[in-house]
Amino acid sequence: MVKYFQNIWITLTTLLKGMGITLVHMLKIKRDNVTLQYPEEKWPRPERNIGFDHDNYNVIRSRLHVDMDDCIGCLKCERACPVDCIKIDTVKVPSRGEDIKEIGHVGVTSNGTRKAMVVTRFDIDMTECCYCNLCVYPCPEECIYMTGGPNAKKHPIDYEFSEYDRSELVYRFAKQGSKDGIERIMAEQEAED
Amino acid sequence: MGVVHGQEMVLNIGPQHPSTHGVLRLQVKTDGEIISEIKPFIGYLHRCFEKHCENVTYEQVIPFTDRCDYLASMANNFGYVVAMEELMEIKVPERVEYIRVIMAELQRIASHLLALGTFGLDVGAFTPFLYMFRDRERILDMFEMTCGARLLYNYMWVGGLSHDLPIGFVESAFRFLDYFEPKIEEYNNILTYNKIFIERTADVGVMPADVAISYGVSGPNLRGSGVKWDIRKDEPYSIYDRFDFDVPVGIGEKGNLGDCWDRFNVRLTEMGESIKILRQALTQIPKNGDVHQTIPKKIRPPKGSIYKRTETPRGDLGFYIISDGSPIPNRLKMRSPAFTALSVLDEIGRGWMLSDVIAILGSLDIVLGEIDR
Repeated sequence: MVKYFQNIWITLTTLLKGMGITLVHMLKIKRDNVTLQYPEEKWPRPERNIGFDHDNYNVIRSRLHVDMDDCIGCLKCERACPVDCIKIDTVKVPSRGEDIKEIGHVGVTSNGTRKAMVVTRFDIDMTECCYCNLCVYPCPEECIYMTGGPNAKKHPIDYEFSEYDRSELVYRFAKQGSKDGIERIMAEQEAED
Repeated sequence: MGVVHGQEMVLNIGPQHPSTHGVLRLQVKTDGEIISEIKPFIGYLHRCFEKHCENVTYEQVIPFTDRCDYLASMANNFGYVVAMEELMEIKVPERVEYIRVIMAELQRIASHLLALGTFGLDVGAFTPFLYMFRDRERILDMFEMTCGARLLYNYMWVGGLSHDLPIGFVESAFRFLDYFEPKIEEYNNILTYNKIFIERTADVGVMPADVAISYGVSGPNLRGSGVKWDIRKDEPYSIYDRFDFDVPVGIGEKGNLGDCWDRFNVRLTEMGESIKILRQALTQIPKNGDVHQTIPKKIRPPKGSIYKRTETPRGDLGFYIISDGSPIPNRLKMRSPAFTALSVLDEIGRGWMLSDVIAILGSLDIVLGEIDR
């Protein structure tokens, strides 16, 4: 009999205790509120000062971006990718380190490397990408990175890039017409020789 | 009047069911509401992890280990890199060891918060789930601050880490611990000692210690049955032997030893122990050191094999790696703790009601990504 009433008492007190906690949270809703109306408001991105190499190195995982003027076509990122979402085709240039105006090819990278290759295709399929960041590290020219990364001023962070069609998520970075252009130039050169 | 024998009915729970925690199908034989047999069908999330690893290099395996136990990616990375470093005989710097322990323990808290929250959800308590997710979010923010990702990190590398800690991480971690420590009391008040919750979980799904051991159950599920077995303590890897912490075990406080409530309580107490480890690690961590120092240029382990196990939030995770001297693993086998936890479900779930089976499944804290791999 005592146990019966004890049980009821414990049930009531523990229930009220739990209710009390929710009540406190309800009253302090202004202070404890964690819900944001997402598209209108966004969480501030956490501060990401990595203290060793770069002063403001942003390590965010977002959309991959390639600076084509710096790319030397070394295929290191393609080999590092565990899901093979990067596809690169290259053609050897006639003379190393010289600009080819017709196809907008820049001969020397911003680090001073003279290019030996024209990149005719540089496709990144963001539907396949697993955001592991492995392609970013081996790049000798630091030209492939996640947007918002080292060149955050040039390329602000972009993590909201949904599309209606999945084919639009294949990003083609190679300069337009570079494949036909370089083939034509090579053919002309052969004809001259 | 004679005894009326009801017909047995076969009922499928899942594959798309909110309380199976992923794509798992349970085929249960029911007599009325009493369960006489449970047959789990797995493989809906099979992604050929082990076979795939035979085709990618050792560095490229790490993003795939992330995706096995996606609620405790750091712990999976940790297990893999510890095994690889022992195979290649790499000694990593002190700072790297400390950062790894800090990350693994933060991940343990995050994973347990999710496990406890969804267990509460399974037995009908919605509010604690939201509170626990709120706190888990703060841990994920710290991970995002460190390596840029919130769920699948690819943070620990063979021989080092992908990034050093950001400036201000230690302070923000201390701030989080100060915030989080009183919250455990709040969870106790709102859920653990709630009479309705105790009625639902105490004495339900009792797993005796011998059953747990014979099925190979490990981690909090095993400790809930009263067996004091924690690889961090009994077979220390990394630098876990330097920290002072207890291994909480179930004592059958509210019912029989090894019931759902015990497993729940072990997880809750373990978060407190993780806080202890974190406080020690955050004070002892060396101020400087290069985290890239010992990363090998090419990962080409010598011929041989290794089996190394580590304690993840779900139990002991083993990696068996056979190397033939090439940059690609010859064979990689992962021993997953959630798989053994699921296999014991039939044994401990028989004779309970349908609603209790949901509670038992929730208390085992399985992750289907790790079971199917």
